[in-house]
Amino acid sequence: MILQSLKIALESLWANKMRSILSMLGIMIGVGAVIAIVSVGTGSTQSVTSSIANLGSNMITVYPRTPRGQLGRISGGGSHEKFTLELAEYIEKFCPSVKRVIPTKSANGLFIFDDMNINGTLLGTDMGYLEVNNYSVDTGRFINEQDNQKRAQVMVLGSDLATDLFDEKNPIGQRVKMNYDGRIYMFEIIGVMERKGSSIAGRLDEQAYIPLSVAMDKITSSRYVSSYIAQALSSEKASNAVKEIENFLIKLLDDENQEKFRLMSQDEILDTVSSVTQTMSLMLGGIAAISLLVGGIGIMNIMLVSVTERTREIGIRKALGAKNRHILFQFLMESLSLSSFGGFIGVGFGWMGAYSLSQYGNWPLVISNISIILAFGFALLIGIFFGLYPAMKAAKLNPVDALRYE
Amino acid sequence: MNDKVIIIEELKKNYYLGKVTVEALRGISFTIKDGEFVSIMGPSGSGKSTLMHIIGCLDYPTSGKYLLAGQDITRLNDSQLALFRNQKIGFVFQQFNLLPRTTNLKNVELPLIYSGVSPRKREIMAKGALDEVGLGDRIRHRPGEISGGQRQRVAIARALVNHPSIILADEPTGNLDSKTGLDIMRIIQRLHEEGNTIILVTHEHDIAHFAKRIIHLKDGLIDRDEVIA
Repeated sequence: MILQSLKIALESLWANKMRSILSMLGIMIGVGAVIAIVSVGTGSTQSVTSSIANLGSNMITVYPRTPRGQLGRISGGGSHEKFTLELAEYIEKFCPSVKRVIPTKSANGLFIFDDMNINGTLLGTDMGYLEVNNYSVDTGRFINEQDNQKRAQVMVLGSDLATDLFDEKNPIGQRVKMNYDGRIYMFEIIGVMERKGSSIAGRLDEQAYIPLSVAMDKITSSRYVSSYIAQALSSEKASNAVKEIENFLIKLLDDENQEKFRLMSQDEILDTVSSVTQTMSLMLGGIAAISLLVGGIGIMNIMLVSVTERTREIGIRKALGAKNRHILFQFLMESLSLSSFGGFIGVGFGWMGAYSLSQYGNWPLVISNISIILAFGFALLIGIFFGLYPAMKAAKLNPVDALRYE
Repeated sequence: MNDKVIIIEELKKNYYLGKVTVEALRGISFTIKDGEFVSIMGPSGSGKSTLMHIIGCLDYPTSGKYLLAGQDITRLNDSQLALFRNQKIGFVFQQFNLLPRTTNLKNVELPLIYSGVSPRKREIMAKGALDEVGLGDRIRHRPGEISGGQRQRVAIARALVNHPSIILADEPTGNLDSKTGLDIMRIIQRLHEEGNTIILVTHEHDIAHFAKRIIHLKDGLIDRDEVIA
């Protein structure tokens, strides 16, 4: 009987093509929107997540906090003077989840080449910087152990800085002047880094890298570093590493309220980003679900009109022996076919929308089966729910009245 | 007993319109034998439509007895009544009442669909019925593509297809010109000669006289039960 009802329903929908398409439109758009939005949400999250992970593997950055004071006195909150090279070794030693700690010393100065002057950041560091930042050299080489020991005045340029200073020329082997605090230093360019973008360690492409020893002893004449970049043993151990470093520094610096240092980890940023995108896709998904609901109400409208319009047909069918449940199933099948066809086409629309948006936004196309099943299932449910009332109304019609209906 | 296809005793039907009670049928009794051709006549308001609806199992009487093919239909529920309409009664309406977007063949198949006949058998039976009314070459047409007379012949084929106990024709010529109406009446007469029981509801004298017996209704009562020689 259900098969027969389905056939009758399909014939009637086919006979009213335009009306059928119009009533499917709401469901089509709703299902399409749900699928596209969920796909955009997951796709963009994935792309952001992977680009953040790409910035550095399991990286934790430790900064000293700026000292705070009142009435012109520094109240002793600062900890610059605790951030020594030795402390890096201690952290490495006493925090089992930490693989290594790279000290860095940064200084702002003026880069001078020919008639080109550019303000930029100089970052003193060592070989390990590449690994923790998941960073590599494009041409030439990076600073090595010998450079640090010999305090060689060599420099590796970030990709943007290299093009700013040298344009199309090959920078390798060129000499750049560096003006820091009124003094001029000469550096030989030994390498150019790959393009990287920004990370919690700064705008890598706009920095220049020099041996840590040169930055500390020659340029700033300081025993203290600007920050530590710690690398956890693995991404699973990253949160452990954060806790260990925190506890270690709290004890060492006698700093219960963490006023003297600041930790930033990759995980923290990932959490923030994914919670933001999740909220976004939840909100958009909600809007899409509402449009699905509106689509369902559209189907109910059309079905109610259709029942009224076909009162006579219902009367004829009943006179010829259709039972109430025949009529009920016929109309229920109609709304169900409308919503499932609409849902089916909507899945196609959603796929196309998700695809073109992912091309536009440059993130991977991710369409989860769950979102398809959910959107399609919801559409079917809506078809049954909103089809039931008109179908029951049709089934309950009195045959005599229905036959008289003009 | 078995040759009486319809037994009606003291049939009454009231309509309640707000506080006003309209007595459409005020106690009607008659029997119709198997194979009879009976006309029910009367002016509008005489209750003939109400009587036809009850005979056609579309409506329940308020009181009284109605036996169709030995079964008291007042004891049946909606769904059993639908089955009775399907199996025992073939309707022919004044407005033809064909489904406009459906082919003639499918229209004739409709009663068979609801009685659960297989698609192949359905098509054979429907084609047979259409052949019987002379429309074997119009099965793929839709009701809108054929003339009024042809439409009524499709409706007759539909009434015949389930081999019902009675064929109930309500003003079958009312929407047709007199020549086409006569053609339709000839077909109905032929069906009677082939052994079908036919009940014809009409207010036209000439049409009513195709029958062998005329029940005249007036104000919800039988005015006269006339047998034509």
